[in-house]
Amino acid sequence: MASNPDRLVISRLINRFGFGPKPGQYASLLAMGVSAAQSLLLTPPTTDIGLTKVVEPDFPDRGDFPPSGTPERVAFETNQRSDRINLELWWLDRMVLADHGLRERITWFWHGHWATSLGKLAYARPMKIQNETLRKNALGNFKEMAQAMVIDPALMYWLDAGANIKTAPNENLARELMELFTLGVGHYSEDDVKSVARGLTGYTVDRTAGTFTFEPKRHDATTFIILGNTGSWDASSIINTLVARPDNQKFITDRLWFRLMSTSLPTPSDIASTFVNREILPAVQKIATYVTSTDPLLSQVRSPVEWFVAACRALKITPSTAQNRAQIINYLDKLGQYPFNPPNVGGWPYDEAWLNIASTQYRIGFAAFLVAQGDTSPINGLKGLTMENALTDWLGIPEFSTRTKAVIRGSGLTTAQIVSLALCSPEYVVNG
Amino acid sequence: MDTFSRRKFLQLTGMSAAGAAATQLSLASIAEAAQTRPMPTGTPILVVVTLYGGNDGLNTLVPYKDPIYSASRPGISLTAKDVIPLGVDDLALNATMVGFKTLWDRGQLAIIRGVGYPTPDYSHFSSMAFWQTASPHTFLNSGWIGRWLDTQPADPFKAIGLGSVLPPLLAGVKNSGSVLPLGGLVVPKGLMGQEFKALGKSSSSDSPLQAAAAASFGDLMSLSKKIEPVLSKPAPVPDDLPSAIGGNFGSDTSLSQQLDIVAKLIAAGAPTKVWAVSLGGFDTHADEVKAQSALIGTVSTAITKFLSQVHATDRANDVTVMVHSEFGRRVKANGTSGTDHGTSGPVFVLGQGVNGGQFFGDEPSLSKLVNGDLAVTTDFRNIYGSMIEDVLGAPTGKVIPNWNTKIDGLMLKA
Repeated sequence: MASNPDRLVISRLINRFGFGPKPGQYASLLAMGVSAAQSLLLTPPTTDIGLTKVVEPDFPDRGDFPPSGTPERVAFETNQRSDRINLELWWLDRMVLADHGLRERITWFWHGHWATSLGKLAYARPMKIQNETLRKNALGNFKEMAQAMVIDPALMYWLDAGANIKTAPNENLARELMELFTLGVGHYSEDDVKSVARGLTGYTVDRTAGTFTFEPKRHDATTFIILGNTGSWDASSIINTLVARPDNQKFITDRLWFRLMSTSLPTPSDIASTFVNREILPAVQKIATYVTSTDPLLSQVRSPVEWFVAACRALKITPSTAQNRAQIINYLDKLGQYPFNPPNVGGWPYDEAWLNIASTQYRIGFAAFLVAQGDTSPINGLKGLTMENALTDWLGIPEFSTRTKAVIRGSGLTTAQIVSLALCSPEYVVNG
Repeated sequence: MDTFSRRKFLQLTGMSAAGAAATQLSLASIAEAAQTRPMPTGTPILVVVTLYGGNDGLNTLVPYKDPIYSASRPGISLTAKDVIPLGVDDLALNATMVGFKTLWDRGQLAIIRGVGYPTPDYSHFSSMAFWQTASPHTFLNSGWIGRWLDTQPADPFKAIGLGSVLPPLLAGVKNSGSVLPLGGLVVPKGLMGQEFKALGKSSSSDSPLQAAAAASFGDLMSLSKKIEPVLSKPAPVPDDLPSAIGGNFGSDTSLSQQLDIVAKLIAAGAPTKVWAVSLGGFDTHADEVKAQSALIGTVSTAITKFLSQVHATDRANDVTVMVHSEFGRRVKANGTSGTDHGTSGPVFVLGQGVNGGQFFGDEPSLSKLVNGDLAVTTDFRNIYGSMIEDVLGAPTGKVIPNWNTKIDGLMLKA
C-alpha cells in the first residue's frame, strides 16, 4: 500500500492499547510520529481528565432476595435490574470517557482473564469491588493481583469457593486457578487440583456485601504437597507457589499476546523475559513494540464491546446518558458480549467468532442506532477526498480499501449513512 | 449459573484455536446444496440435543414411589399427580413430558439410565467438555462428531450446529462442522442494501480477517431467493400427536425454533448427516420444580413435534435424536429449593429406528449412593458407540479413543 506506514502502526497502538481515538486524537498522534505516540499511549498518566466526568454509581448491600411472590420481591428485583445496568453502563462510560485508554483496556483484558459473571452473582456490589481490584492491579504486579483475586468475593462465589470446607473440598476454584488464571492446562496434575482445593478450604463469602471471612475450623491446615512443594497451605502461599512457576511467566505473556496482538501468530520469544518479576506494564510495553510488523496475521477483529466503545468515543456518546440506553445492552447482548457477563470462566471468544451473518446484521442496526444520536461534525459538510481523509483520520482507520472507497462514494448517501457504512466496513471491524 | 446455555459455554480455552476452522453457512447455501445435491433418502441422520446446565434426572425420570426420593427432596420431590408413570420399575416421566410418553408407547423412545463417566467432575465446563470430546479427564481439543468428520471426505454441510458459535463436539482435527446462525435475518433494503452488499466484495488489501468480515456481508446480503421457498414453506404436516399440557411452557422456545429449521432443511434434502441443537437453563440451584418442569416439557414438546414433522416426510426412518446433559443433579435438595451439581442422569434416544419403549442400563439405587451422588451405571461413550456404529455407520474406535463398545440392542437395525 502506498499510504504512510505510520497510519497502520498508530491505528494498532490506539486500538489495541486503548479503545480507539477520540475525535482529532489519531491525527495528532500521527503528527508526533510512532515513537512519541508509542511512548505516550503506553505510559499511564497520573490523572485522567476524561474520567472525572464519569458518574460514580453506589451499590449498597441489598441483602437477600425476599420470598417469591411478595411485593418486596418485585421491588427488590427492580432494584437488582437497575443495579446491573448501572454497573454495566458505568464501566462502558469509563472506557468511552477516559482520555488515556491503557488502564481501562488492560482492565478489560483482565476481566476476560479472570472471567466472572454477574449472571450467577446477581449482585452488582461484589462485581464492582472485583472490577476495582482488577483496575488497581491492571498494570501492576501479577502476584499482587493474583493474591487479591484468589480471595475476591465475586470470584470465590462464582467458582463455589465459599462452600469449600475441609470435610468436602470443592475443586472448582482450584482447577480454574491453575488452568485458566495462572499456569495453563497441562502444567499441574489432578493431585495438585485436589491439594489446592484443600489449601483453599475455610473461606465463606457474603455475596450481597461483597466480603469474605476465613474460618480456621473449616480450613485444612495439614501438611501436603502442591507442585512438588510440601507444606501447610493457605490462599496466599498457594499463589506464591503458582506465580513463581516458570509456566506462569510464559502463560500470562502468551495470554496478553493472544488477546492484544494476534490469535494466530505465536508469542515472540523475547516477551516472557520482560515478565520475569511479574510486572505487567513492561510486558505490555514490550508487546506493543510488535505493532510495526507487517504480518497480516496481526489483524484483529474488534470484539463487540471494543467496537461499540470505539464508536462511542468517535461519536461522543456517553453510554449511561444515551437515548434509549437499555437498547445498548440489548444490542451488545445480541452481538454476544457485554461487560460482566462472560460466557464462562474461560472468557469470550475472539476473531472469527465475531464475524458471521447474525452479528453482521446486528452490527448494521447498532451502527445506525449510534450514528443517529452521535456527533458526526468531523465530516459534516465535507465532500470527496477531503471527506474521506477526514473520515479515516476521525475513526483511526489507516486507509480504506478500493472496495470501501467505492461504497462511501455512492451517490445520494447522507453523512449518517456514510458513517454507518464506515463503522461496519471490514477496515473498521477488523483492526489491520 | 442461572442462564447456563450453549452460548454461555462456547469453548474451552484453546479448544477452537486448535481445531479446524469453522465455516459459517448461510441458509441460502444449505438450501442450494439441498437442491443441487440432495442427500438420498434412507441416509441416516443424527440430531444431537444438548441440555446445558445439568438437567435434574431425578425430576425427569422420576422414582416417585421411592420413599428415599421424597425424603431427600422436601418441597421439590414430585408425587403421583406430578408424573406420568411408564409402568416399568415404578419410574415415571415428569408430567410435562406428554409427547415423550406417546413416543415411548409407540416404541420410538428408549431411555438409558444412570449415564455418566467415571469419577465425577462437578464443573459445567469440564463435564460438558468430557461429553463433547468423549474424553473424560483427558484433555482433547477435538469433539467426537468432529473426529467422525475427520474420517469422512471434507464437506462443510455434513455436520451443522444451530447458533453462531461452533459447539466443541463439531470441532475436528482436520475437518469441522459448520454453524448456522439463528434468528430472522433482517437486511437493509434499497440504497443502503446495495451499499452493504458492496462492502461484501473482497479487496486485495484485505488481511485474512478483513476478508472474512467482508464475506460475512456477502453471506448476509446475498441471502438468496432460493432459501425463501424452503423456509417460508409450511413445515411438513405433523401427525396427530397430542400437545403437552397447556401446550406452551415458558418463554424459551428457541429449541423448537432450531428444530423447526432442521426439520425443514431435512425435508428439503440438505446433505447433512449430523445436526446439533441445544437448550440452556438447566442449572437449577434454586426454585427448581417449576423451572425444570417447564424446560424438560419444552424438550419433550419440541422434539415430539420435530419427529412428527420428519415422519410426515419420506425420511421418517432416517432420523435418530439423542438428548443429553453434562451431568445430573444431587439427590438431596439444597437450602434454596433446588439441587446442586451431581453425577449421572438419563439419556433419551428417539426415532423410528430405535428399539424403544424400554429402558437400557440400570437405574442407580437411591440407597446405594456414591459420596451422596447417584452411581454411574452406563458410560456415555457406549451410547455414542451406538450412534457412531449403528447410525453413522463408522467404527467407534476411530472416533473415541480407546473405546469400542456400544449399547447392544439400542438400535433396531443393528
